[in-house]
Amino acid sequence: MIDSSLRRPRAQVPGPGNRLKLVVIGNGMAGGRTLEEILRRGGKDRFDITVFGDEPYGNYNRILLSNVLAGIEDTAEIYLNPIDWYTDNDIDLRSGVRVVRIDRSARVIYADDGTRMAYDRLLIATGSRTFFPPIAGLWVDDTTLTPGVFGFRSLDDCSAMLEYVKDARTAAVIGGGLLGLEAARGLQNHGLRVEVVQPTPTLMNAQLDDTAGGILRQSVENLGISVRTGARTTAVRSRDGRISGLEFADGTSMDCDMLVVSAGIRPNVGLARRAGLTVDRAIVVDDQLRSIDDDDVYVVGECAQHRGQVYGLVAPLWEQAVVLADHLTRTDSSAAYPGSRMATKLKVAGVSVASMGIKAPEHPDDEFVQFSEPKRGIYKTIIVRDGKLVGATLLGDTSKVALLIQAFDRGLPLPEDRSALLFDLGAGATEVGAAELADDVQVCNCNGVSKGTLVGCVRGGEKTVTGVMARTRAGKGCGSCKSLVSQIVEWAAGDDVEVDPAANWYVPGVPYDKPELMTKIRELKLHSVSSVFAALAPDGQEDAQSKMGLASLLEMIWAEEFVDERDARFINDRVHANIQRDGTFSVVPQMKGGVTSVQQLRTIADVAEKYDVPMIKLTGGQRIDLLGLRKEDLPAVWADLGMPSGYAYGKSFRTVKTCVGTDFCRFGVGDSTTLGIRIEERFQGIAGPGKMKLAVTGCPRNCAEALCKDLGVVAIDGGRWEIYVGGAAGAHIRKGDLLATVDDPDQVVVLTGRFLQYYRENAKWLERTYAWVPRIGIEKIRSVVVDDREGIAERLDADIQKAVDAYADPWRERERPATPGQFRTALPLTVLPQVGIAVGRR
Amino acid sequence: MTVRTHCPYCALQCGITLDISVRPVALEAQEAFPTNLGGLCAKGWTAAELIDHPDRLTTPLVRDAPGEPLRPASWDEALDRVAGAIRAAQNRYGANGVGLFGGGGLTNEKAYQLGKFARATLRTAMIDYNGRFCMSSAANAATRAFGIDRGLPFPLADVAATDALLLVGSNPADTMPPAMQFIDAARARGADLIVIDPRTTRTAMKARLHLQPAPGTDLALANGLLNVLIRERLIDLDYIAERTTGFDAVRRAVRLYWPDRVERISGVPEADLVRAARLLAEAEHAMILTARGAEQHSSGSDTALAFINLALALGLPGRPFSGYGTVTGQGNGQGGREHGQKADQLPGYRRLDDPVARTHVAKIWGIDPSELPAPGLSAYEMLDRLGTADGVHALWVVASNVVVSAPRAGHVAGRLRALDFLVVSDFFLSETAAMADVVLPSTQWAEETGTMTNLEGRVILRQAALPAPAGVRSDLWVMRELAARLERPALSADPEEIFEELRRASAGGKADYAGISYSRIIAEQGVFWPCPAPKHPGTPRLFSQDFPTPNRRARFHPVEHRGPVETPDAEYPYYLTTGRLLRQYQSGTQTRRVSALAEAEPEAVVELHASLAQRVGVGPGDLVALRTRRGRVLMRVRIVAGIRPDTVFAPFHYGGVAAVNLLTNPALDPHSRMPEFKACAVAVEAGPSRVETSVGGTTHD
Repeated sequence: MIDSSLRRPRAQVPGPGNRLKLVVIGNGMAGGRTLEEILRRGGKDRFDITVFGDEPYGNYNRILLSNVLAGIEDTAEIYLNPIDWYTDNDIDLRSGVRVVRIDRSARVIYADDGTRMAYDRLLIATGSRTFFPPIAGLWVDDTTLTPGVFGFRSLDDCSAMLEYVKDARTAAVIGGGLLGLEAARGLQNHGLRVEVVQPTPTLMNAQLDDTAGGILRQSVENLGISVRTGARTTAVRSRDGRISGLEFADGTSMDCDMLVVSAGIRPNVGLARRAGLTVDRAIVVDDQLRSIDDDDVYVVGECAQHRGQVYGLVAPLWEQAVVLADHLTRTDSSAAYPGSRMATKLKVAGVSVASMGIKAPEHPDDEFVQFSEPKRGIYKTIIVRDGKLVGATLLGDTSKVALLIQAFDRGLPLPEDRSALLFDLGAGATEVGAAELADDVQVCNCNGVSKGTLVGCVRGGEKTVTGVMARTRAGKGCGSCKSLVSQIVEWAAGDDVEVDPAANWYVPGVPYDKPELMTKIRELKLHSVSSVFAALAPDGQEDAQSKMGLASLLEMIWAEEFVDERDARFINDRVHANIQRDGTFSVVPQMKGGVTSVQQLRTIADVAEKYDVPMIKLTGGQRIDLLGLRKEDLPAVWADLGMPSGYAYGKSFRTVKTCVGTDFCRFGVGDSTTLGIRIEERFQGIAGPGKMKLAVTGCPRNCAEALCKDLGVVAIDGGRWEIYVGGAAGAHIRKGDLLATVDDPDQVVVLTGRFLQYYRENAKWLERTYAWVPRIGIEKIRSVVVDDREGIAERLDADIQKAVDAYADPWRERERPATPGQFRTALPLTVLPQVGIAVGRR
Repeated sequence: MTVRTHCPYCALQCGITLDISVRPVALEAQEAFPTNLGGLCAKGWTAAELIDHPDRLTTPLVRDAPGEPLRPASWDEALDRVAGAIRAAQNRYGANGVGLFGGGGLTNEKAYQLGKFARATLRTAMIDYNGRFCMSSAANAATRAFGIDRGLPFPLADVAATDALLLVGSNPADTMPPAMQFIDAARARGADLIVIDPRTTRTAMKARLHLQPAPGTDLALANGLLNVLIRERLIDLDYIAERTTGFDAVRRAVRLYWPDRVERISGVPEADLVRAARLLAEAEHAMILTARGAEQHSSGSDTALAFINLALALGLPGRPFSGYGTVTGQGNGQGGREHGQKADQLPGYRRLDDPVARTHVAKIWGIDPSELPAPGLSAYEMLDRLGTADGVHALWVVASNVVVSAPRAGHVAGRLRALDFLVVSDFFLSETAAMADVVLPSTQWAEETGTMTNLEGRVILRQAALPAPAGVRSDLWVMRELAARLERPALSADPEEIFEELRRASAGGKADYAGISYSRIIAEQGVFWPCPAPKHPGTPRLFSQDFPTPNRRARFHPVEHRGPVETPDAEYPYYLTTGRLLRQYQSGTQTRRVSALAEAEPEAVVELHASLAQRVGVGPGDLVALRTRRGRVLMRVRIVAGIRPDTVFAPFHYGGVAAVNLLTNPALDPHSRMPEFKACAVAVEAGPSRVETSVGGTTHD
């Protein structure tokens, strides 16, 4: 202790021109973090700040070093404060300069570059360094490690390892703690064979009990990392001046090309000790993070010892920095640091580990809850004391860690059923049908309508869903209960339910279902969307939501007689390309059956080069997608390609995916490629209520995924073909229903056409086959399409033929644009429909 | 006969029709109005009950002396009292001894006229409004980042076409149910809904992913999301380079928000954080919307900026069906903050401290720019200093119930008692009106014409459908009469005439209404500002070309997690957060008087997690006392599964012993002056075993 009478009087009241001199020794996370907190409290006006850091960089996030080693994180992304941050905040940074002496009586520091600098306040944030156990051969001399031996502490360590792994094949890691395991994982990522050498019997013994350590070991070994426990390393072997292996106390040994030592850390306290500050395991501080010997000297981070505890984690450092800054800047002179709760979390490839607080019960009344499932590598324990969580270990499954850590940090109330802390218990919610619901259950929350009220309304004589909704206002708020309301009304009305006509309208703005609408359109010879509205909509009102659906229907009915009004179309259909996130377009030329040629590939390559296409992508439909084209280039691109449109944008027939078929495939039983091309040639480009994606596959191995297509054809033994319809593998997954099994490709083509036409005529707008087929029922569809029970097969065939005949490649519009602005460049980011409900467009 | 008009409540301003040929008036939803498409919530469907309500004030009330009851009086007597009190305060304390406190439910015309009345007629700097308690943080953030503050920069219907929607502290399923149609439409198309809320609200139940952070940690969460996006290289570098400034500082700041750390701060599992980031980044179109849950904090404006940073890094603002917005709460929360009832603003979203703006507006008002006062105190600061040496001594409160809605409400009531004179205009006797020296009965929504600006920035028209009861006057008329009594230049009381002046005053400002007229609004179902000329189509979507900042780029702002000012400790071990219920609105002045609504939510109920209820030793329906450093309230217990066990939720619609704002913390956001309504430390204790009284059910004593 220094006699206080010898001290200079302290400058207490800073003001303009009267700022205190703050010197910070150490530019790691602790020093940097504390400075940020000081600056946030107006520290720039109170202090002239100088920072000494012996690493020659700005400050960086040390805990991400293992990510850097593993190649997950860019080095650039771990810097917290680059050099210019110091300049911007008027901080004098002396990087690469080491402070060698503190003269506390003179309040001056000396640095290894000859600097002598006076301070009013001193902040020691010297951190810690790797502890190297006494092992023979580890060092070449006092300061040089044997080549191939590394600590794992700094960016320099990391860079050196990343350089060295290029020529290394095997590595040893001494220390099976948190950092050692992360180092092992990092090295393994670079293709090295890695063995972890742990002197104690248990991995991560600071955090885990023996059971957990055992399970962790199993999991780590399953990842291909060897583990050797209870092994004390006695010597490093070298060959040609580099490490070649390790020797252990039990007489065994191992070979390795490199060694990472991660056997703990030691606080950097030499400077403080020489300055006469009290040092135990680290520099001893009070609750204000001041050295207990000197009110002008503050200490933060891994070099500080507070109430007997030295912290090697980042969260405590954060908490210390806040208290220190509050106190140093006099923002809150009563700020006191109570110590931190310790928690860690790491992931060794697939193995997650989290640990907080104590690892085993300590008091007789401690409640210890355990779950162990070694086969899956899962182990969980919690320790509860006086109703509060005081410790937890999670291994293999850390899904509950967020809850536990908050319960641990904040003393959250814990559920009586402790298992809820370890597992997500299913709520056990089951769908209750309309019949089982109790009468007083609220069906419509927005308007407070119960099932009983709905039923009462039906009994009162209202038999339509819309009528009940209008009278009770159920479903007239947010609308999300509409389907439940319908179910209840239908249940309550029994056979009396009157179908709400609007539910079956093809589009919302025209009050007819699809067959009626088609009849009217044919009778009145309505060839354009606007004429349909004028003739059939209430008051002739146009309805934006109905336009695209009507355009599609008219195109189907009238084929080439359809009067195409461009405003009825979505941008994709206006420019025959698929708009992308950034306002550019994608172009997919037709590639029938996914079969291409040298010439096609060469042309595509030339086009891609000429227009600087940023991405060329193979599509799921076996085509080539040129992405990132500008709208104004589209006509020229199509001209240069000289290939027809692949229709990768519209509500239309898209493509036929095929497998290799019989020519080359050893398993093929039917010539799927030829049939696929034939189908695509015939039905190319025909419009429909939704996309139509097809596939033909040459054997039941189903390489072309025919079972989950709108229509899929599968060759089976005996030269026969199965036709599946209504499959999907998008947002909805559905296996198609078997429509028919036929004997030859001609029949496949006929039934395909008939099915597609029936779908085009009967599905609602935007209703894909996966919804339409189950709605109508496969039996019904089969009876019409295959068995012709309704006698319309011939007409269906004729109408699809008409559609086939009307086919024209839309990319020919390049020669005469449909409207003057069709391919004009859109200003960036402005392609938008009118205000109103925007129509679905994926 | 039917009249097309709009619902009196929230910022959705649903289109309704009133059939006034019958009594009670029949109310229907407009099927084609773009924000509600035929939907209305329970509040909207029952709004007609406010017309002809027996509690309506139909005559002015005056109090002869403190402690005496209010008694009916003539308008002449009441206005003479008010004018006399204003003169007395001006003489004794100077112009700033008189203050005005407005509301976000007032029409644009009233908000504009109130600002003019304060600055040109009374020449006081002391005017602010309850919108300070709602939108100020989001408004401040949007102005800093985009150079303009319009709640949604796109029509609400665009939500239906987005592919990923992040809602932060927003619960439209309860607060504006008809808006859920658009969210549901998006979900039906496969869009991902992500909700950030400490409670499992009805909106959160619909989400693909629900993140449930501790109150006041949204900012850390946003920074964590951005940290993940940067690490996974999912940010839009071209957009950042071409359309923004300031990203480097943000990139550096969010390096400290790695997922582990954010998990510990917020309680949101790392895996959910990563998943949310990916859902947003991988969507073709994505939207981020914040609301009061994120904004009503002492770091609310920085929190909004953190989400704006996220939106900018993803390249969303200005892209189709994408962007950042805030979901405005009050009926005219948007228009109310554009035309001059805010302490620092002049019409057209101009700044009061901008010399050019002062000259422009002074010219229209026919005064010298030097006569315009400087910016005054923000809402809570004004209330906090009522009756003190440098404070307001005579206060006119218009359409606001500060005794229930201001933070630390007990203190605010005390300050009101310290005034020389309090006059309140309202159409019911609110808790605040009950304390006044003079109460002036106002016309209500169905009885007056005026424009409102909804959450989309769409200016709409409410049309008078019915004559007001005899004895009731419009606030515009009151201002005209007071100006005359104070012998100041004449003011108009005709809404359309005032709107014409507002058009000129706003011309050239950020919120430019110059091209908007009543006839256009009717013909076009509302007009989106800015609309600088009669031929201009209005602006449904902002930012498609650039941003209205000096360099035409949006600005990133590095922001740091600070957390709530109060955190739980041994004495106050839990978080209290407040919010709205489906069937109530604001301080409940209106909705608590509507029988169907009051019956559904008869008493104030606090939501508790089962494990917290167990620790406190209470069960469903029991009374509990909630206690903070500022006060104590009583509420009934409801046990809910979907709330964090360290957090209790209480609605703010009730007065008396259940007025939750007796508890809330008036710590203010340094940028927006928004109080910290959404998080403070609370103790929860078993209440009195005997039921003293119904809690919150009565409207006032």
